[in-house]
Amino acid sequence: MSLRRTAARLLALLRPGRLDRELDDEIRAHLEMAEQDALAAGMTPEQARRAARRQFGGIEPMKQEHRDSRSLRWIESLLRDFRHGLAGLVRDPGFTVVAVSVLALGIGANVAVFSLVDAVLLQPLPFPEPDRIVRVWQAPRPGVTNATSVLDFLDWRRLADSFEALAAEQTVSVALTGAGEPQRLTAKAVTSDYFRVFPATPLLGRTFLPGEDQPGAARVALLSHAAWQTYFGGDPDILSRRPVLDGEPHQVIGVLPPGPFDRDRAELWEPLAFEPGQQTRDFHWPEVHGRLRRGATLARAREQMETLNAALVELAPPWKRDWGVVVEPLQTLLVGDNLRQSIFVAFGAVAMVLLIACANVANLLLAKGAARRKELAMRAALGAGRGRLAAQLLTESFVLCLLGGVAGVAVAALLLQVAKPVLPAMAPFAAAISLNLRALGFAAAVALGVTLLIGALPALQTNLGKLSLLLNQASRGFSDGRSGVRRAIVVGEIALSLVLLCGAVLFLRSLVALQSLETGVRIDHVITLSMNLPLTTYPDAEAAGRFYAAVAERLDGAPGVEKAALASHLPLRWIGNGEGLVLPGLEKPVNVRLKRVNPGYFDLLEVPVLSGRDVQETDRLGAPHVILINETLAAQLADVAGVTDPIGKMVKLSYPFYETKGGSLEDVEIVGVIRNEKVSSPGSADPAVAYAPMAQLPRPSSSLLVRTPSDPYAVLPTIRAAIGEIDPNLPLGDIITLQQVRDGTLSGASRPTWVVGVFAAVAALLAAVGLYGVLSQTVAQRRREIGIRMALGARSQDVVAQVLRNALRLALIGVAVGLAGVVSLTRLVQSLLFGVSALDPLAIACACVAMTLLGLLAGFVPARRASRVEPTVALREEG
Amino acid sequence: MSKPKALVPYGTLDLLILKTLETMGPLHGYGLARRIEQVSKEALQLSQGSIYPALIGLEQEGWIRADWGVSETNRKVKVYALTEAGRRQVAVEVEKWEQATALVARFLEA
Repeated sequence: MSLRRTAARLLALLRPGRLDRELDDEIRAHLEMAEQDALAAGMTPEQARRAARRQFGGIEPMKQEHRDSRSLRWIESLLRDFRHGLAGLVRDPGFTVVAVSVLALGIGANVAVFSLVDAVLLQPLPFPEPDRIVRVWQAPRPGVTNATSVLDFLDWRRLADSFEALAAEQTVSVALTGAGEPQRLTAKAVTSDYFRVFPATPLLGRTFLPGEDQPGAARVALLSHAAWQTYFGGDPDILSRRPVLDGEPHQVIGVLPPGPFDRDRAELWEPLAFEPGQQTRDFHWPEVHGRLRRGATLARAREQMETLNAALVELAPPWKRDWGVVVEPLQTLLVGDNLRQSIFVAFGAVAMVLLIACANVANLLLAKGAARRKELAMRAALGAGRGRLAAQLLTESFVLCLLGGVAGVAVAALLLQVAKPVLPAMAPFAAAISLNLRALGFAAAVALGVTLLIGALPALQTNLGKLSLLLNQASRGFSDGRSGVRRAIVVGEIALSLVLLCGAVLFLRSLVALQSLETGVRIDHVITLSMNLPLTTYPDAEAAGRFYAAVAERLDGAPGVEKAALASHLPLRWIGNGEGLVLPGLEKPVNVRLKRVNPGYFDLLEVPVLSGRDVQETDRLGAPHVILINETLAAQLADVAGVTDPIGKMVKLSYPFYETKGGSLEDVEIVGVIRNEKVSSPGSADPAVAYAPMAQLPRPSSSLLVRTPSDPYAVLPTIRAAIGEIDPNLPLGDIITLQQVRDGTLSGASRPTWVVGVFAAVAALLAAVGLYGVLSQTVAQRRREIGIRMALGARSQDVVAQVLRNALRLALIGVAVGLAGVVSLTRLVQSLLFGVSALDPLAIACACVAMTLLGLLAGFVPARRASRVEPTVALREEG
Repeated sequence: MSKPKALVPYGTLDLLILKTLETMGPLHGYGLARRIEQVSKEALQLSQGSIYPALIGLEQEGWIRADWGVSETNRKVKVYALTEAGRRQVAVEVEKWEQATALVARFLEA
């Protein structure tokens, strides 16, 4: 068939009526002319008419042939069914509204979660050939990864030819001053190869040139698109402006394109230069990313890095001779196991809701089918084929699902809108999560799948060859087999809901366990903020020490300030830098986390000093070095060196330099042991921590904590004023309460709680509605039977009890089936749970009881209705 | 609902219609049917109605054009005429037919 003909046939679909009328006209004219000719040939009018008819042949078959010839018949009947289905839905608005909203809920939830999956799991890295981007680490022990030392990085970059580019980066904080309130920007210092690993075509200007990352090179910076918009109002002349960063004017050489780089926390990129003093193998701070050479496999790169590592071992300091090297694809690193699993759990939950929604709608359709069966039987008797009837029913389901799908996309948009504020915290690097074309395609696929799922049952009804028998049958309603199907569907709904309810209760228990987790610090009424001292204003430890002392002094006793403290790291936050603590007589250093605190810190957080003393004002720069240690470290010292009383013990600790990377091994005295404060994520043990007095070892970045008598935010103006008096150019960042810090640290484990909780509630409700529907119908069908029983003396409570027994039986069967699902499915979420077993008997019992009660509740209304049956009325009714 | 038998060799009705329009110029459906019967010297048992499905197909292919005219009985009727593409198609169809008959003839002679 030619293209032209196909087009014409499609066009013909649009005007079947007109073409039929034209054909009728032609036939009439034809017959008249034939008649006239026959008359002229001498026939009687009657003979002439018959002759004309005979010569013409069968009119109706010809018309059908004409239709087949001019158009695509299956589409024509599809369109007819479609209109028919739509008309049917309009006739029964109650059913339509319920079915469409239930489907919209199910489809919408799935589309929303799919958008999440799409953004987070399917395309986490918005760069070309993302599978070639890897992260390279040094590894002190198998399973432990560490940043890289500068010299190791430089050797790798020189020797490892499996990589097209290897780049080092360090996340830093820069102060932007000179235009209004000083701002703090998160920045990345990167070697010039960085944009070969993460290719970008700048929106304006260029990226870094080779050599721009050498010491002494001109000060240049690249802006993210978001930073350009936020801080510079999208100024097109930005390349000629020289904003002041950390007190020095910088040349902006380019603006990155919108999108990929806005996902990062970083807003600004500047060259990372390794000063000669930083070129050591002892200090590990650059983070290394690489892009595999085209054709080089991950295995090849790993092999080469291991060979290199072995060759470089001679150069390594003795204590890191057994270190390894790790190459990991960045994609898998970005999406942690925890997040990946949370998303799968959420997807599983919404998939179950969709299944239950389908079951409900299928049930409604089956109930409707009772009325439809006579209509179908009639059509079958008039010669409609079984396939034709099944097609009609499927088309009707399709109309329903189409409406459900469209409404579902709206629901998904709404859900994403509602979830918008929490999504970035959940998946910070992910693309803007939105309803894109893929999500719409997914919605269409789901709607089609649902059509098949819910359309299959009614379509199968056209089987049962006994359709014609039905015509003779009194409208008694359902055969037992079909109500059996409906009961099975309800049992399935209850079972699925039970699984979700169990999951929800488990996550809730996990959340409660997290809330009551002992963190070792008092967190109420504390506001925290971070400060970052630019090296230009605070070039050395003395200057920084003076600043911190001034801040502490001004805040002490200021209005609204109960207590104030300074620390290098917030409580409940991981301490990134590990240092070596060397005990006399032991060659291998103990790895400790080093934190600087000022004298008020432990007091403010109510962390008790178990033995020895607290940090004191006298522990200042120049005084003998002292540290406090936590219980874990004390236990470790006892373990490896038999130190039973660490107080007064002299050890060597590597003290980082203030301004450059690197440090020196210093003699320090252990003066106190404190009770552990929580540092690591829930579920993992706290590391060994050494606390140095802030005054002896200041560093440019630190956090301020202020305890207030009332609303912690109310004290902010006082803090701003106090710090502004000392340094008006210092921006303050990350203003959050300690409660928020805690929630942030603990959120990982409780992530799916609300998603699963909400959808479990929805699922349970849907299941209850399904159960209610089936019971109501049973009662309606049995009105006569109930009437007879009541006439024979049954009391109304007997009738109520019977219906409730029925409800209970269905609910219990559902719960029993669901338990099997619980046992096999909740185990999958074990790693997301905290402090509760996946087979927690209490959680399972709660869910079972809740579901059973809900089942009884669903039976209550039909039961009351049954008890109100008037025997005389019911018996008189036509069955 | 058996199909009335048109004893027109399968697939040749299109050719007969096109060729007739080429020779006779524009005709309405009845005229076409009569003409085909006359040319075949009444040897062909044609259900006259069966030309209409064929006509709509040819029209959709763009080989014939239908215009509204008036019949001898003073009725509005479609008058069919060959288009330029149709004229070319006649040649194509004739050649196809000749090839087919030549092929069959060779078998018969063998």
